[in-house]
Amino acid sequence: MAIEAVDTRARGLRNRREAEVVGLGGVLRRLDWILLLALAGVVGYGLWAIDGITRHDPGGSAAPRQGLYAAVGVLLFIAALFVDPDTYRRFRRPIYFGTLGIMVFVLAAGAATRGSHRWINLGFFTFQPSEFGKVLFVLVLAGFLADRARSISAPEVPLGALGYGLVPIALVFVQPDIGTALVYTAALAAVLFVAGVRWSHLVVLITLTVVFALAVLWLLPAAGVNVLKPYQAARLTGFTHPSTDPQGATYNLRQSITAVGAGGLRGRGIVGATQTRLNYLPEHATDFAFASLAEEHGFFGASILLLLYLLVVWRALKIVAGARDLYCAIVAGGIAFMFLFQVFVNSAMTMGIAPITGIPLPFVSVGGSSMITNFLAIGILQAIYLRRPARRFS
Amino acid sequence: MASSGVGARGRFLPGDPRTSEPYRLTPQTALRVAVLAFLALGVFAVLFLRLWALQVLSGDRYLAQANDNRVRTLYLEAQRGPILDRNGKVLVENVPGTRLELWPADLPKTWKAQLTELQAISKVTGTSVSGMVAQLKEHGSDPLTPIVVQRGLRQDQIDYLEERAAQFPGVQTQDSFLRKYPYQSLAAQVLGYVGQISEQEYKQKKKAGYQPTDSIGQAGVESEYDTYLRGKNGTAQLTVDSLGRPKGPATLVTQASPGEALRLTLNIGLQRAAEQALRYGISLAHTGIEGKYADGGAIVAMDPRNGAILAMASYPTYQPSIYVGHADAQKLAPLIDLKAAAAANYPGINRAIDATYPPGSVFKPVTALAAMQAGIVHPFDQILCSPDFKDHGQTFLNWTPLIDQWIDLPTALAMSCDTYFYELGKRFYDLPAYQGHQLQGWATRFGLGELTGVDLSPEAKGLIPTPEYLRQRYPASKGYGVLDRTWKPGYSIQMAIGQGQVLVTPLQMTRLYAMIANGGKLVTPHLADDVELTGSNSQPARVLRRFGAQPAQPSGVDPTALRYVQQGLEEATHASFGTGVGVFGSFPVNIAGKTGSAEKNVTLPGDRYPQNLTQSWWCGYGPYLSPTITVCAVIENGGHGGTAAAPAALRVFEQYFKKTANVTQHASD
Repeated sequence: MAIEAVDTRARGLRNRREAEVVGLGGVLRRLDWILLLALAGVVGYGLWAIDGITRHDPGGSAAPRQGLYAAVGVLLFIAALFVDPDTYRRFRRPIYFGTLGIMVFVLAAGAATRGSHRWINLGFFTFQPSEFGKVLFVLVLAGFLADRARSISAPEVPLGALGYGLVPIALVFVQPDIGTALVYTAALAAVLFVAGVRWSHLVVLITLTVVFALAVLWLLPAAGVNVLKPYQAARLTGFTHPSTDPQGATYNLRQSITAVGAGGLRGRGIVGATQTRLNYLPEHATDFAFASLAEEHGFFGASILLLLYLLVVWRALKIVAGARDLYCAIVAGGIAFMFLFQVFVNSAMTMGIAPITGIPLPFVSVGGSSMITNFLAIGILQAIYLRRPARRFS
Repeated sequence: MASSGVGARGRFLPGDPRTSEPYRLTPQTALRVAVLAFLALGVFAVLFLRLWALQVLSGDRYLAQANDNRVRTLYLEAQRGPILDRNGKVLVENVPGTRLELWPADLPKTWKAQLTELQAISKVTGTSVSGMVAQLKEHGSDPLTPIVVQRGLRQDQIDYLEERAAQFPGVQTQDSFLRKYPYQSLAAQVLGYVGQISEQEYKQKKKAGYQPTDSIGQAGVESEYDTYLRGKNGTAQLTVDSLGRPKGPATLVTQASPGEALRLTLNIGLQRAAEQALRYGISLAHTGIEGKYADGGAIVAMDPRNGAILAMASYPTYQPSIYVGHADAQKLAPLIDLKAAAAANYPGINRAIDATYPPGSVFKPVTALAAMQAGIVHPFDQILCSPDFKDHGQTFLNWTPLIDQWIDLPTALAMSCDTYFYELGKRFYDLPAYQGHQLQGWATRFGLGELTGVDLSPEAKGLIPTPEYLRQRYPASKGYGVLDRTWKPGYSIQMAIGQGQVLVTPLQMTRLYAMIANGGKLVTPHLADDVELTGSNSQPARVLRRFGAQPAQPSGVDPTALRYVQQGLEEATHASFGTGVGVFGSFPVNIAGKTGSAEKNVTLPGDRYPQNLTQSWWCGYGPYLSPTITVCAVIENGGHGGTAAAPAALRVFEQYFKKTANVTQHASD
């Protein structure tokens, strides 16, 4: 009450928030329908594409299974609509440490079985905590930064966020899942950026990151210290010289570029796409799904998907701009950028202009964790949009 | 922007962060969202441009690549042409076999899995893993052409691999042909052998239509006439998946056409006789003290009229079949490993063309002819044949001290009198400079120190030393003294009896004696007669290309001078004082020829220091009046020519004329 006494705009805000009682009708009325249609478009198009991509695989079409994951995703999406983003902010510490706990558990369980360190097998579903962790990571860091909005220019704040962020990044990195670690890093950069960290601090951080990357990839190996295993480094740098080792590190890349190029304007069709069908393109259902889609459906088919992605990113950025508070803006910004980053790195890697990392193509690559997480992310965007204030700045 | 941002922020009261702070989109945040939006546009622009570049601008190229990926061109091996002797007897033929191919593109992608598979293959077929790894490494850049790692798989091995095709991605078996040698080791160095084309050879011969899976002649006539023998590979196309598994049967594109038959001038009967004669000569040498280290040699039989080689034997020899199919490293070692080769006395070397020896007395006809041509001796001049010859304080010994008489040129040849030729050597040395080096000049004109042009390689040139050669060989710049570089009278004297630095190959000597036999014409030795399509039962063979004899070149020697040399050679085998009379005297066909016992410093295998051993020579021809065969035999370290080489050569004549001789005694020199 005190606030309303001094600031009428705050009072108005409070009133509007009270008006936002989220009944079903209100939700439907206030949803971003363009984003929803774009989402439906991407998911539908992705399911249709993955059916063609995996039809000739030994396991048969992955579309039904992907459809099931999408259904689970839709449920999570709807649930997310009804959760006020503030809830995440309030519970950010339990979320953060809970996620870290699960990641450590996965690592420990993987070490014990000498297996991979990424998944928890739930029987019907292998659960990949680092995928879900992406969204939670953004929610937690956004909370940390929004709480310190007024002292954002002080160097301690970005440094603190960095400290918070580097722990899960390191845990993912040692799984080893370099691709996901990169996505986390991109999300960290995005939240710092949207939260308003000073340009000079950003420049320092970017410089440090570049130096770090150079050190890991070139300087330290030259000095005899191998942070990455040689095959990892080869995959990351292979795209700069694709023909060096056609049978080894750059085999996938060469086959992928061939697949994309062979697609031509109209695509080779599902039967004619020999790179995919005869399995020359490895991992065509997951990491190289974009190349497969481009081979089967050509420039037109791939462009449709990219345009749908662009639509999602555009709406996400609109949501950042129209968010009700800084926290929501940071969350939306983080999600938007993370989405853009994944789309870019995945499709660019299949075309030989980005390093090869195991980043899935959102809503297309086969994989439940990724599908469900992306639904959750868009759900949170919609939840933020639902709670937007009335248009004041248009 | 920053200042307006501060101003905008200033309008807010300081708030309690725990309440929902009043929020508005500050221009600062708006700017950052705009930056993100531009970034997004930039990112999508890049993606679209790249997609456009790949799919629309270079789409055709990648489409072709994708098709190459999927379609494998298989090369259907052409049956290699057989090799025949002059009478059509098959010396080399083919038997069907199966070869094992690795397709690098279809092998497992990780090195570890690849090694596991190679080990599994090795277990089944016995192919060495390190060999396959080396081949793969060498092959390197081209994953879409196969590597042949073995020929001659057994049926059970083929069955095993085919039944478990899924366990062996990138492994294929193909029909192939293997060489077969009905006469085993006969003429091994002449025939040569066939082997997998190496990466280097492939790169050189790619343009000539060779494929990386081809076999190629590696030595002998197999190598020399490979283009005729190899035939033409057929091709078939096969669609495969990424594991190299065929999707449907292969479709034939072009049929393979078999290679042509190569007919040689060799007479397999004479060849066998020559090889047996070599072994016989070596065993004879072993009975004498001087020949106890005899361990190798060569015999060449040639038609002096046209240069057709009738037999070419080299000892020690090997079985060419050890190169066929599954190569046994231990058996191959003497042919490919330097140390093992030295221990086995280099069985891979064709001593007839690629080994050089000092000729010794078989060189004397050259000295005699050159001396007559230079006018420094008349055939009837009497020169003292003494036990030794003194010049500039040096003493040169005759091979026998039991003589002291005046003799003419034919007799000197027949008796092989060294001191007679020492005198000629001295006269050569004393010739005025403007006359040049007559002895060397004629030796070179007779083909010594030069390639014979035989259709085999590698061929050694030998050496006819000259003063110029000495200056070049021992330059002052490398610290050689003036004495090293100076041509001394002793050199000419030594050279007159085929010693000193003179080195010749058995084939060069054969050509020289062919020239003496045919009246002064230098023939080109050759092995290939023609290439032909072998006829079936009713049809005769059709000759496609005749190589035959090249026209003989006149040597420029005076026919009269040649007559005296011929006479000397005939006396050598028939006159009572001839050095070869004990061997050839009773042979029903009139053979003319010359013995030779050439001293050479030889370091025997296992020895540290060289010792002076005698190389046993005999060269000659028959029948004397109308010669049809020239034979040269050399037994390495075999002692005197009359002991080992002459009886060996006689065996060849016996086979050739189908007549036997009654060897009474062993002549000397």
